[in-house]
Amino acid sequence: MIMADIQQISLDKIKHKKKMATEDLIFMIFNTLFLVLFAVVTLYPVLNTLAISFNEGNDAVRGGIYLLPRKWSWRNYEEILFERPGIRVGAKITVLRTIVGTLTSLAANALLSYILSRKKFLFKSGLSLFWVITMYASGGMIPVLILFRYLHLTSSFWVYVIPGMVSAFNVMVMRTYMLGIPDSLEEAAQLEGAGYMRVFVSIITPLCKPVYATIALFVAVYHWNSWFDAMLYNRFDPQYTTLQYELMKLLDSVSATTGATSGASMTAATANTITPVTVRAAASIATMAPIIALYPFLQRYFVTGLTIGGVKE
Amino acid sequence: MKTKKIVSLVLASMLAVSSFAACSNGDPGATDATTGATGDTQATDAQKEIVDFTMFAAMAGKEKDANNDIMEIIAQKTGVRVKETWLTGQSAGEAIGSIIASGKLPDLIDGGDGSVTLYENGLLVAWDDYLEKYPNLKEMYTDEEWDKFRMDDGHIYWANVFGNSYQYNTATGHNGEAFWIQNRVLEWDGYPKIETLDQYFDLLERYAKANPELPDGTPVIPYTCLCEDWKYYCLENAPMFLDGYPNDGCCIVNIDAGMDKPKVVDYNTTDTAKMYFKKLNEQYAKGNIDPDFATQTYDEYIAKLSTGRVLGLCDQYWDFAYSIMGPFASPLAATDGTEFRLDELGCDYVPLGLTAKAGMAQQWHSYDDELNQSSGCAVTTSCKDPDLAFAFLSALLDQDIHDLRFWGIEGVDYLVDENGLYYRTEEMRENWKSDSYKAKHTCEYSYCPQWMGMSKDGINRMQPGEQPSEFIEGLAAPLRKCFEAYGVGTYAEFIGSEIVVNAPWYPLWSWSNNISSDTPGGIAWKKMGETKHLWLPTVVMSKDFESDWNSYQAAYAECDPQAFLDEAQAEVNARLATAQSYGWTPN
Amino acid sequence: MEISTSRSKKKKEIDINKPQFTVKEFKRQWILVAISVVYVLYGLLFYYLPLVGWIIAFQDFKYNKGISGSKWVGFKKFQFLFSDKTFLLVIRNTFCMGALNLIFSTIVAIAFAILLNEVRNKYFKKSIQTISYLPHFLSWIIVVAIVSDALSSTGIINDLLMRLHIIDTPYPFRAKEAWFWPIVVLSNLWKETGWNAIIYLAAITSIDPCLYESAAIDGAGRFQKMRYVTLPGLRPTIMILLLMNMGNVLNAGFEIQYLLGNGLVQNFSRTIDIYILDWALDARNLDYSLGTAAGIFKTVVSMTFIVVSNYIAKKRGDERLF
Repeated sequence: MIMADIQQISLDKIKHKKKMATEDLIFMIFNTLFLVLFAVVTLYPVLNTLAISFNEGNDAVRGGIYLLPRKWSWRNYEEILFERPGIRVGAKITVLRTIVGTLTSLAANALLSYILSRKKFLFKSGLSLFWVITMYASGGMIPVLILFRYLHLTSSFWVYVIPGMVSAFNVMVMRTYMLGIPDSLEEAAQLEGAGYMRVFVSIITPLCKPVYATIALFVAVYHWNSWFDAMLYNRFDPQYTTLQYELMKLLDSVSATTGATSGASMTAATANTITPVTVRAAASIATMAPIIALYPFLQRYFVTGLTIGGVKE
Repeated sequence: MKTKKIVSLVLASMLAVSSFAACSNGDPGATDATTGATGDTQATDAQKEIVDFTMFAAMAGKEKDANNDIMEIIAQKTGVRVKETWLTGQSAGEAIGSIIASGKLPDLIDGGDGSVTLYENGLLVAWDDYLEKYPNLKEMYTDEEWDKFRMDDGHIYWANVFGNSYQYNTATGHNGEAFWIQNRVLEWDGYPKIETLDQYFDLLERYAKANPELPDGTPVIPYTCLCEDWKYYCLENAPMFLDGYPNDGCCIVNIDAGMDKPKVVDYNTTDTAKMYFKKLNEQYAKGNIDPDFATQTYDEYIAKLSTGRVLGLCDQYWDFAYSIMGPFASPLAATDGTEFRLDELGCDYVPLGLTAKAGMAQQWHSYDDELNQSSGCAVTTSCKDPDLAFAFLSALLDQDIHDLRFWGIEGVDYLVDENGLYYRTEEMRENWKSDSYKAKHTCEYSYCPQWMGMSKDGINRMQPGEQPSEFIEGLAAPLRKCFEAYGVGTYAEFIGSEIVVNAPWYPLWSWSNNISSDTPGGIAWKKMGETKHLWLPTVVMSKDFESDWNSYQAAYAECDPQAFLDEAQAEVNARLATAQSYGWTPN
Repeated sequence: MEISTSRSKKKKEIDINKPQFTVKEFKRQWILVAISVVYVLYGLLFYYLPLVGWIIAFQDFKYNKGISGSKWVGFKKFQFLFSDKTFLLVIRNTFCMGALNLIFSTIVAIAFAILLNEVRNKYFKKSIQTISYLPHFLSWIIVVAIVSDALSSTGIINDLLMRLHIIDTPYPFRAKEAWFWPIVVLSNLWKETGWNAIIYLAAITSIDPCLYESAAIDGAGRFQKMRYVTLPGLRPTIMILLLMNMGNVLNAGFEIQYLLGNGLVQNFSRTIDIYILDWALDARNLDYSLGTAAGIFKTVVSMTFIVVSNYIAKKRGDERLF
């Protein structure tokens, strides 16, 4: 950390010594303008969704809401957070799976990445290929279901954690990062008698904070947003429902792909199942909020930069 | 060495899978154990032990709260509480497939279009024995009707629960298709008689010119039309009705040669079809049709209708009306600062039974029940106590429980006058429109057996929507005025269709909705649909109608529609033969 | 320059480090091998065992009969696929949309990461980045509603074009086949750019600051530093992600095409996944075997892409997957 700061400062000093070229200045202005424009285009629909989520339902259907709600209402949030059956259980399970799932997955991916990034490892290519294949070849929904059923993973919490624990994609990203760490560090440690595991825990891991943070974010978001597995494996086990599955039931009721079901059979009791746009907007915001809250903590690691310890190549 | 090991491992695992996949459904112990968790009997604090069942309906729906008021009352009376689960993020087929593969079935199921799959996989319990045991269930249909439900093994596995009237059909609404128009448009023109497309579009155009905006400044759209996915019937099947035929859905069944010699005719190639699309093309060019009609999603369509700016449309009532009730009844701010409501402004839609030529008889409305035997409520083999399940389904048809389901609790959800007539206050009606109220209070078990028509008390109707007094009370003032102006009391009377007894093959859509693509006719049907999806909006928006119409007809002919029509004809003949075996004769 | 020499040095190192299989080396690595075995067993159980399900494609699969009880039909399902004109059409659509998405999303995400990295003000940088990935969390249902609204006859795009007198009457973007792919690609960019940039931003931090320092001393300007320090520093990450995503070209998706498509653009909007939904998962057909056959086709093509591009990467001395 301190080293990095010192380096940053010395870097800045050098830059300040040099007169800032006009080319640089123009670039800065355009870059800033461009990024602001980018942010506006990105942010507007999100703010619009936020405004709609705070608007009264029947009023919002008429459209014409931009950055501020026209008829203020908490109803939508009340409806999704307090009136949905199963929302509390779902929230509990989602938090639990996000924590347990992220930690186990991070550990499992990191260890495998470490092995695959050892340049001297004997089965490097074989093991890589073995995992690369898993990214593209899938047995499909039904065989997986049958397998899980016989492993007694259906109707359980562990179906969220165990099967997806190792992800080849994340492993490849981590491995690439680890390959960038100079071998000299490892060699130095090994000379002092450290074994592979010791190197992993005390040399590699501290240097991999940015990539760990990235992968942790990916995995956490995956767990936070998952709903399909909850439906597929625990459809009739409300005690294992997830937050997003409960919200998805709301989001999806409009785009129901029911096919050509007889219309004549629809009655008031069955037809009135359309979820107001406002409730859908509220559900989207609720999905986003915790991740937005989490991100700044992880973002720290992205801007820290990699300190190359005491060794320089 | 290394590879050898992997190969043998894979082989070993292959064997393992194939052996356990084999017994996937042959092992009743496994399925029992899995449902045990949900189907368990749980002792509650009440005196009676209540059994919890699960139910899955392959439709979109809203879940009920766990401690729903009426659900508890029904549970006390029947000893059964049912947790309903609906379709989410999957097609019906995918859902049914994954439920089967997971080996965890609910106790009760409405498989929708996947019902036959459930039957083929031997996962449903036959109704036959229980029908004799529970007269309530047996009473739902006549023997002839029950026979229509029989599968190829001769047993009955489900019962369609909808549109089935006790005693007789008392429908106040017109649930089917029509050209709808806002009643204020009719009022503005002095309640004229509108019979043809020319008159209809002419009136829409004149009204839109004279009244281009709503009080809140929203510009009106004379006509819109939904073309999304299977709901493109809004655009495509009008020629069938315009020629005076009922809603067989997939084709016209011509009976000019006599009721016993029905002939299937394609409505996509008739002169009426060309006339209708030419009319739409002409109106599109004039700017009377919503420019986004071809690409709008269902959401956008409903949002558009909810603003009250659409004067006319062609659709089936259930597809749009329930969704716009809320917005039509909520106060809006006009540009001059006053408040107004769309229903009080006269924006509610009324149905017009248009025909190709003035003075023709038409059958937009069907006065009889329509039986759809292709899917319905079923009990699965995973249900630990099928007898209890059938007893429960039967109990749901007891009048007191039926009233609880659809009318609610007396004194809370409805009142009874001195003549025994049920009625609701304004507040009660509003409650029953509210989703949150419905989630915590009402319990329709909407995909379980139910009645329409007359109540067993002989005074009321089975469902409040059909109670004439409730129906009239529920109408906004301008709509009531419009009904009076035409001298009618219900939507059904408003559309004024010819009163006919349904033909034995009617409705043919109960066949075409479930046609699989295994046969040449099924493939043709799928291709025809794709071609029409592409070409119908194209001809409407075309700058050169004649040439595009010809290209469309050529593309359509390539789909081999005759293969489909042949199968339709065979189905009509088969249904006719079945009816004749029950003694049906052309009158 | 210094940088180019360092690359060739690295290449040499790989050659030197090529592991030699000896008993001694094996003993030294025993812990790595032991852990690998656990990973292999895990992978076999959760990823390879379900692949046995592929044999379903050669059957007329019935759920109740299981794999051993269903009837064998050989290549019938594949024959059906390749004799169907629509299937060839959906392959084209899937491939083109997938390729366009891959190309544009990679370029734009890298550009965004580099531009953001140039920002000096910490708070501005953090805010922009936080904003950039927000759309990732919007579901496609909502994104499509936004896109569709913007493109409608009264939407902001037509409004703007009319005000600028580029067109006189609203242009029906969503009814035009030619516009479908660009709309999908742009929507995807809007939704995912910020999110995709996260990996690149993390990778930029791994670039040794000394390289910038020495580049500055050598008199490199801002653009030269981007060109000769940042981009080469990102190179391994870019290569790995590109390689991995080569296999996803046929996974162009389903939701956006399904939600944004309509009858008029169906010949350009339908993807393999929609085709499977139509034919194999529709309740009336429910031909799981056909769906599996299409899935196998996708996997075979993906693996071919991967193997070929991995081979090319190996030849060129770039990062590779295996």
